[in-house]
Amino acid sequence: MKPSPFEISRPVTLDAAQAALRGDDHGTKLISGGQSLGPMLNLRLARPAHLVDVTALPGLADIRETDSHVEIGAAVTHARIEDGEVPDPIAGMLRHVASGIAYRAVRNRGTIGGSLCHADPAADWVTAMTALGAVLVVRGGTGAREIPMAGFMLGAYRTAMAEDEVLTTIRIPRYSDQARWGYYKICRKVGEFADAIAAFVADPASRTCRVVFGSTGGAPFVSAELARQIATTGAVPPVETVKAVLRDSGLNLSDVKIHQLAIAHSRAVTEALSDA
Amino acid sequence: MPETLTLTVNGEDCTVTVPPRTQLAEVLRDHLDLTGTHLACEQGVCGACTVMMNGRPVRSCITYAHACDGAVIETIEGHRGDPVMDQLRDAFSRHHALQCGFCTPGMLATARDIVTRFDVADEATIRHELSGNLCRCTGYVGIVGAISEVIAAKGATSAPPAPARDTKPFAPFEPVETAAAPTPTAPQGSVSIEGGWTVVKRSFALSHAPDSVWQLFRDPARVAPCIPGATVESLDAESFTGAVEIRFGPIRARFGGRGSYDNDDAARAGTIRGEGDDKQGKSKVRGALRYAIAEGTTPQVSRAEVELRFEIDGMLAQFNRPELVTGFVDYILAQFAANCDAVLSGGEAGPARRLSVLGMLWSVLKARFSR
Ligand SMILES: Cc1cc2nc3c(=O)[nH]c(=O)nc-3n(C[C@H](O)[C@H](O)[C@H](O)COP(=O)(O)OP(=O)(O)OC[C@H]3O[C@@H](n4cnc5c(N)ncnc54)[C@H](O)[C@@H]3O)c2cc1C
Ligand code: FES
Ligand code: FES
Repeated sequence: MKPSPFEISRPVTLDAAQAALRGDDHGTKLISGGQSLGPMLNLRLARPAHLVDVTALPGLADIRETDSHVEIGAAVTHARIEDGEVPDPIAGMLRHVASGIAYRAVRNRGTIGGSLCHADPAADWVTAMTALGAVLVVRGGTGAREIPMAGFMLGAYRTAMAEDEVLTTIRIPRYSDQARWGYYKICRKVGEFADAIAAFVADPASRTCRVVFGSTGGAPFVSAELARQIATTGAVPPVETVKAVLRDSGLNLSDVKIHQLAIAHSRAVTEALSDA
Repeated sequence: MPETLTLTVNGEDCTVTVPPRTQLAEVLRDHLDLTGTHLACEQGVCGACTVMMNGRPVRSCITYAHACDGAVIETIEGHRGDPVMDQLRDAFSRHHALQCGFCTPGMLATARDIVTRFDVADEATIRHELSGNLCRCTGYVGIVGAISEVIAAKGATSAPPAPARDTKPFAPFEPVETAAAPTPTAPQGSVSIEGGWTVVKRSFALSHAPDSVWQLFRDPARVAPCIPGATVESLDAESFTGAVEIRFGPIRARFGGRGSYDNDDAARAGTIRGEGDDKQGKSKVRGALRYAIAEGTTPQVSRAEVELRFEIDGMLAQFNRPELVTGFVDYILAQFAANCDAVLSGGEAGPARRLSVLGMLWSVLKARFSR
């Protein structure tokens, strides 16, 4: 079906984008690749009167690197990441995650920033970026601020961003060449949103280790307990241990979900720790 | 306000003037009479509408007019003089890779992209890459066969080597502690699907004694303002009319409707039933909310047990993702519980009450994503 009528603007300055967002009460939405908003517009579940296209804003389609970080503009598409345009902050992980999102035709338009802001619990980047300890740079009325991924997603479709803020950059710390990662998602069909996601990143050089579970119904769940156990032993924790951690997580997870998450975790960590 | 776009379609320059909400698929089908591009799901899932835009496949159902200004588009009617597409068309017909043909325009766009990106691809890779194009007729065997043949004709003999891995064994280390993320405190309960109904059971604490909580729960005029997004229009001893407004991410819906309620003071339990519809969004919801108030961990506090069952029809129901419902219900319940506590302490329901909601009387609502 046709979406409800909307007007659209494509500002080329952040000030203009912000002015458009402040213009009216919730009738305005940002649009990036439109691959999450589009289905909602077509179903008329979302009926914004105004859309503000972020793709022409300065820097949003840029990829930059410094000695310590890789910075990805919010409007960089999944396909560009899949194709290796982004320098690796950790060998191969970004390309792997990008290539598992939806289908190539969706990845050609969908963007990393749109995905993070949409905050779907089953989306890939929210979990992967939490595991990588990324920081999001957002621009609001009072200037730029940084939000660490660990506190960014508040729940399904809810983030720590204010209504008039625009995500501009995703900043990912670089890992050493000894770093290991694993990422595994369980889906019923290729390209569908995941039933369970597990991500693992460990770097002896910076003594960092993160274990993150995604598709838990809300924000990704970070387990410092499992991270410590794996870092100090170098062994994959038994599935029952992982299940116990998930059961005690305070998240109200079903037995099926706990099983799926624990299996995804085993596969991700086994892959990461294998020397083959 | 209509916008004028200039684009190159199948090698010809075109100018169309369309409202901003126009999908690329409609630009092609309704304004340029190129009806070979098919629309089915309009949610990006089925792939029928896939066309080439600036050399890459895109979903024309979720690509809107503004993104197409200046674009170079190739549809099934085009690809003239493109040797890869000629080979694919020939191979599709020899392999019986189409029956009704509905999926074929999208299949060929994706097939062309696979052939371009892969010099070598086994069957598993092709099927993986093809997973975003659904075919109800062929069973895919002929489609996969046709694509394999065209890739094989490229003559590459081996795939590029996989990147080398670090083979040093993992050396255990003592991680530096990062501050633990705050533990979420989700209310306890369960979610199940019974026939077309989604049933969410939850239990949560309120920091007032059961009697005063019950006085609040049994009085719809007092409890309704605690429900985020709900407004009561009329109310008598057993029925009400009202509305509930839902905001969930980009989703907005306003369900207007009617319902009934009854309370059992002795058991401190009651039921609210309601149904309503969201006219603009063309969704309907029916639901019942059962609630019971018991003493909590001390006589000064209470525990509310609630069971929400709902069924949703229409557009919202197409979002078939039960875990989103759960997250949403829990968010609303947390606000509701905070509002109840505020009202019982003599204050008012907070500003969050506009946010979302459960529905009619909570209930209702949310349903959406039921299965
Ligand atoms: C069929 C299908 C399958 C999919 N499968 C997966 C999957 O398996 N895994 C996965 O992770 N994703 C999946 N997706 C979603 C896809 O990854 C989307 O591209 C992504 O979620 C949204 O990115 P977008 O650029 O299209 O954002 P849009 O749809 O344009 O925007 C999404 C939301 O973010 C807001 N927004 C966008 N940019 C900004 C910004 N810069 N600042 C602030 N707010 C902003 C918008 O207002 C909107 O609310 C799928 C999508 C489809 C259609
Ligand atoms: S109609 Fe566009 S993907 Fe189904
Ligand atoms: S040939 Fe009929 S849907 Fe594919």
